[in-house]
Amino acid sequence: MSGDEALKEIEEAIVRGDTEQSSQLVEDALGDMDPLAIIQGGMMPAMEKVGNRFSCGEIFLPEMLMAAEAWNGVMKLLKPKMLAEETNIPKIGTVVIGTVQSDVHEIGKNIVATLLSTAGFEVHDLGVNISASTFIEKAQEVDADIIAASAIMTTTMTYQRDILEHLMARGLRDNYIVLVGGGVVNQRWADEIGADGYGETAVEGVRTAKELLNRRRGGG
Amino acid sequence: MVSFHEVLERATKGPIISPKDFDMRVFIPKVREVVENYKIRYDPETPCPADDDLADRIYQAAFDLYADVGTYVVDTERVIRFSREEIEDAVYEAPKEAYFGEGPDRCVFGGRKPDDSEIPHCHVGSGTDTTEDVALKMVEAYGRIAKAKTVSIPSVTTLGPIKSSAGSPVETLAGIYMMRIGREGLRRAGRPGMGIINHMSSCAQGVSTIAASNPDFGARPSDGWLIAPHAELKINYSSLNQVAYLTSWGANIGQEAGPIMGGYAGGPEGTAVVATAYCFHGILVARATYHLTYPVHITNVCSTTPDMLYVASTSGQAVSRNVGVPYYALGYAAAGSATKQYFCEAAAYLLAIQSSGMGIEDVHPNKAVVTNGALPIDSEFTCALGHGMAGITRKDANRIIKRLMETYLGGIKNPPKGRILEECYDVRAMKPDDELRKTYDEVTRELRGLGMRFK
Repeated sequence: MSGDEALKEIEEAIVRGDTEQSSQLVEDALGDMDPLAIIQGGMMPAMEKVGNRFSCGEIFLPEMLMAAEAWNGVMKLLKPKMLAEETNIPKIGTVVIGTVQSDVHEIGKNIVATLLSTAGFEVHDLGVNISASTFIEKAQEVDADIIAASAIMTTTMTYQRDILEHLMARGLRDNYIVLVGGGVVNQRWADEIGADGYGETAVEGVRTAKELLNRRRGGG
Repeated sequence: MVSFHEVLERATKGPIISPKDFDMRVFIPKVREVVENYKIRYDPETPCPADDDLADRIYQAAFDLYADVGTYVVDTERVIRFSREEIEDAVYEAPKEAYFGEGPDRCVFGGRKPDDSEIPHCHVGSGTDTTEDVALKMVEAYGRIAKAKTVSIPSVTTLGPIKSSAGSPVETLAGIYMMRIGREGLRRAGRPGMGIINHMSSCAQGVSTIAASNPDFGARPSDGWLIAPHAELKINYSSLNQVAYLTSWGANIGQEAGPIMGGYAGGPEGTAVVATAYCFHGILVARATYHLTYPVHITNVCSTTPDMLYVASTSGQAVSRNVGVPYYALGYAAAGSATKQYFCEAAAYLLAIQSSGMGIEDVHPNKAVVTNGALPIDSEFTCALGHGMAGITRKDANRIIKRLMETYLGGIKNPPKGRILEECYDVRAMKPDDELRKTYDEVTRELRGLGMRFK
């Protein structure tokens, strides 16, 4: 099997969410290919396809989560090899994500976290009901580029504002890109509280994260 | 039926599992399995199927799902499970009627059947965000709609200049304020005994709900309190605390659930099954006397596309044919209020649920995210349609819905924004302006042309 064929098979196995098969294919491919080539040539295209199919409504959350599981299974195989070969795991940025205080809705946040992770971000998912301080302390701890906060209810949106106010109070506002999202959140609210970006859908949120990070780093 | 005390015991003694494993290893595979086993299929050409066998298969699939999966308790990371016999007993013993309100305003909300000739229970109003200056007048306007049996009161998220936040003392005060406004508004409408059945839309936390339920503020056990799960089939101690309090008071509890189409339940087939399974959870865990479903699309967040109509309709049929509890559905239109598209979306949703054996409630404009976006004319429309279309069959509803969808599906992605209350009403007199009245008359005339009736 050629390298291209092997990468195509890995891509298809991940899209199917077949953890066992994708791990087996990667193990076989590791004889001829380095881990980075597998990630960039097979795994990332797979997750891009999964993200696109999800946003078109062709597949749903279970299929996306299964693909993410397959991705994680393969990464478990690749990480030790990359560490041994002193290859850096490719990462385009670090994100701390969570659902704000008093809000326990997690599905939208989980989708964004999954898409960010498979788009090449290092993602620290704090879960739900997260205070402003916890967001900020984690962001400091992992040297994050982005804080992403989800809120689903009109009575919890205000906690997104809290994160920005806490950042300002600590003199840290300029250290992080702050993204907001969630069912009741819109661009107007993001502007009102001074967030850097907003995504109406998960896919848009990931696109916004990439664009803002690129801009901050002096890109287009 | 298994007692509530036994349910609480199982919440602390049931099998331990992590939330992620519950979703990934238990819930998702089981939903897929039952959808496959019972050959449940969605046909976009038939958003409102007239297929009793499909409805019964969805019921059986939901039964198998709930018997295997149960309800997950977030705080204890344990699962409350019930045997098949216990679920069967619960279905048999579940209240088939709920009684709301007092005196002459008292009403009975009973289960219906698909293609039923009975007028559906007409529930009006909206728990969407509303400003303090108009909240009282809104409730009064809802109360004045004679055909309305029960009402939802608005959600107020401010106290003067202070914005309410979930879990904060301001939320508790906002809840108390709305309880008082709700009762006073109905008193002004001349219907002081009318049942308010969406307590407490202003409050996300159990403690605020319990605080606002003091009878001094106007709360009555003959109102209705909604208990929400977490997606999917999960509950927390805050909600169980509400159940503990409300059952001790003898109050009506409404099981509310918004299964997410495209979420853990998967596509329309799985979501219909999960929406139905919530009924078992509602009877056994939430101790509900009435049941509300509001399936939402994970990306569109509206309920009027064919897949979402299918979910509400088939779940309604499954429950009404096999359980018979009071069951109604809330829909979200993409279009803003006071637009033709809103009324067409609302008509499609209401026809789907009414013909499927459910009670009806105002379809909320603008996906319910616009402050002062819900209008009393929406309620007038709901009731006129509910009464005019009594006896509509699923087959006829499906035919009209397909014609309606031709008019609005193209506008779902970029819907008309519409006008909020202050922009299309004389708020002092609570009367729609000429433009809105003209839109309403035009759209109902066009709908009559499709075979619809309004009373």
